[in-house]
Amino acid sequence: MKNVIEVKGLTKKYKELKAADNLSFEVKEGEILGLLGPNGSGKSTTINCLLSLLNFNNGSIKIFNEEMHPNAYDIKRKIGVVFQDVAVFEELNVYDNIDYFCGLYINDKRKRKKCIEEAVKLVGLEDFKKFYPKQLSGGLLRRLNIACGIAHKPKLIILDEPTVAVDPQSRNNILDGIKKLRDDGATIIYTTHYMEEVEILCDRIIILDKGKVIASGTSSELKNLASSKEKIVVEIMNLDKKHLKEINTLKNVKQVIYKDGNLTITYDKGKNNIVDLMSYFKKEEITYNNIFVMRPTLNDVFLELTGKELRD
Amino acid sequence: MTVFKTFLKVLNKCKVPIIIYTVMLVFFSAFNMQTSEKNISFADSKPNILIVNKEANKDKITKNFINYLSKNSNEVNVSMNEEKIDDALFYRDVSYVIYVPKNFGKDVLHGKNPEIKIKSTKDYGASLANMMVERYLKVANVYSDVTDNEDELVTLIDDTLSKKVKVNLTTKLDTKLIEKAAFYHNFLNYCILAGTIYVICLVLSSFKEENIKKRTIVSSMSHKNYNRILLLSNALFAFILWIFYCILAFILMDKIMFSTHGLIFIINSFIFTICALTLAFLIANLVSNKNAVNGIVNVVALGSSFLCGAFVPTSMLPDFVLKIAHILPSYWFIKTNEMLKEMEVFTFDTLKPILTNMFIVICFSIIFIIITNVFSSKKRHNK
Repeated sequence: MKNVIEVKGLTKKYKELKAADNLSFEVKEGEILGLLGPNGSGKSTTINCLLSLLNFNNGSIKIFNEEMHPNAYDIKRKIGVVFQDVAVFEELNVYDNIDYFCGLYINDKRKRKKCIEEAVKLVGLEDFKKFYPKQLSGGLLRRLNIACGIAHKPKLIILDEPTVAVDPQSRNNILDGIKKLRDDGATIIYTTHYMEEVEILCDRIIILDKGKVIASGTSSELKNLASSKEKIVVEIMNLDKKHLKEINTLKNVKQVIYKDGNLTITYDKGKNNIVDLMSYFKKEEITYNNIFVMRPTLNDVFLELTGKELRD
Repeated sequence: MTVFKTFLKVLNKCKVPIIIYTVMLVFFSAFNMQTSEKNISFADSKPNILIVNKEANKDKITKNFINYLSKNSNEVNVSMNEEKIDDALFYRDVSYVIYVPKNFGKDVLHGKNPEIKIKSTKDYGASLANMMVERYLKVANVYSDVTDNEDELVTLIDDTLSKKVKVNLTTKLDTKLIEKAAFYHNFLNYCILAGTIYVICLVLSSFKEENIKKRTIVSSMSHKNYNRILLLSNALFAFILWIFYCILAFILMDKIMFSTHGLIFIINSFIFTICALTLAFLIANLVSNKNAVNGIVNVVALGSSFLCGAFVPTSMLPDFVLKIAHILPSYWFIKTNEMLKEMEVFTFDTLKPILTNMFIVICFSIIFIIITNVFSSKKRHNK
């Protein structure tokens, strides 16, 4: 697969602060790339540089194999952007808003009408075409924001935290829509705080912190970077110190915590440690209520790599 | 086309204030016409006066003076009590009270200025009566140098004051209509300023909203082309607004608008519309908050209209207000309208002050354009 975006050594400084610090990455055709990072990690700066909304101090950006610059209208024609803040006209209804933004790319009225109808359908706003933004809920407004950004059928779509403050129904709708866009052949860059979304959606993830790429790969690859590989939580009413000590000596166990009737065991290796644990409970005739097995999350990875939570 | 279509749709949302400004213009113009209608007829009238002379044996000159005043005014019968006289003045039964002194005749005969005490309501009637008194005394004073004879002096004064001159009014100026047109165009100052600033600021604040602007910049439409379409759309709006007010002027003022006066009124309003457009662009660049637009319209349009005499005649405004008004384009626009009221002959010399005013308004436009450009480039540079 060829590269749609090639970023090499991108550096953007705000006085002494480096918002992007020698960033290099590629985005392959047809993939969804997740840009993950806390506030101030450089996600929006990177996107603004990609779109030539910001000048940068060093590095190069190629999109569709051509150098990106403010007057690169041929490249811009193939890009769709959904910004974090809703950008629509209060004075226009849903249909007219999409028509306006689509009209900045497509002059042919008939072709544009078809595109608008498809965008409306994709985000599920069929029943709200004549509604004005003020009449829409937060979730519907975000859907409109997305429709305005993708109606012209771009080959590259950049979505900057499109699900912030959105109700679960709208979030599912938005995520389904993004998957459909990918299935239709679009390449997508998706920035967010929410790791669950990244795990569901993204083929590849780049974790940013302080303007630098601190890790990249698929969700599984990133989780493998975590020193703990598995976590098992068991609800047990009474557990004595002797049993706690013995659990600590079981194979692959890294850490054992017993608090408020919850026993949390962290393993540093393996994927089927639950079998050993349940054998032990059976042998010692320990009764328990519930048992959960958890794989390390991207937040655990981020915590280990940076020492802070993703949503810090 | 998409940008222009959207401009029209956003503009459509601003139609209510434009309708309100137009209704106000029509209402006040119609009201002004009604009041002007009442003042057009001329009726010959005499002032109401009271002559107080307590002398029992009046000399010939005093008698002649009293006779002259009585003939040319309405002598009112009021009791010679000071309190009653003051009441009559207060209730405007009398406009002018003349206290003829005891030695009036002697003083006039010997060329002395007799001290005449008067009480006046200071209205038009009082001025007229005052004119008569002054005229009599001036004539008497001239002839007192020629003769010392009382009879001869009275004859000479009578001969002079009884002379009549026929005056033919040759002017073709329909002052009534021109005044209406001037009032309409003065009020137009407010409508054009408020209309253009309100609409252009609101429309541009929608298009220049940070996120919409970002989305437009990342689109495939050339930013220069986009700005050009917006600029032309706004200019077209201002032009249509001006045309609309011109048509309204033709409907309301009819034939005066087909004269040279009308043509100059139209040219003047066109130049002012351009100035209002540039001012609106400047304000739209400085202000991005839609909620602030209403306040700005009130301060700029209403403020300059009041200061420059759009609502109140400039003759009624204090000097210091008019001095301040010099720094506003409205002042020069209204000044031209006021000058046109009194202008009958149109030559290069008579038109010079009007052309100067128009040139000043154009200079204001250029200044506004320069400031807008400086501010825009500074804003771009900061980003």
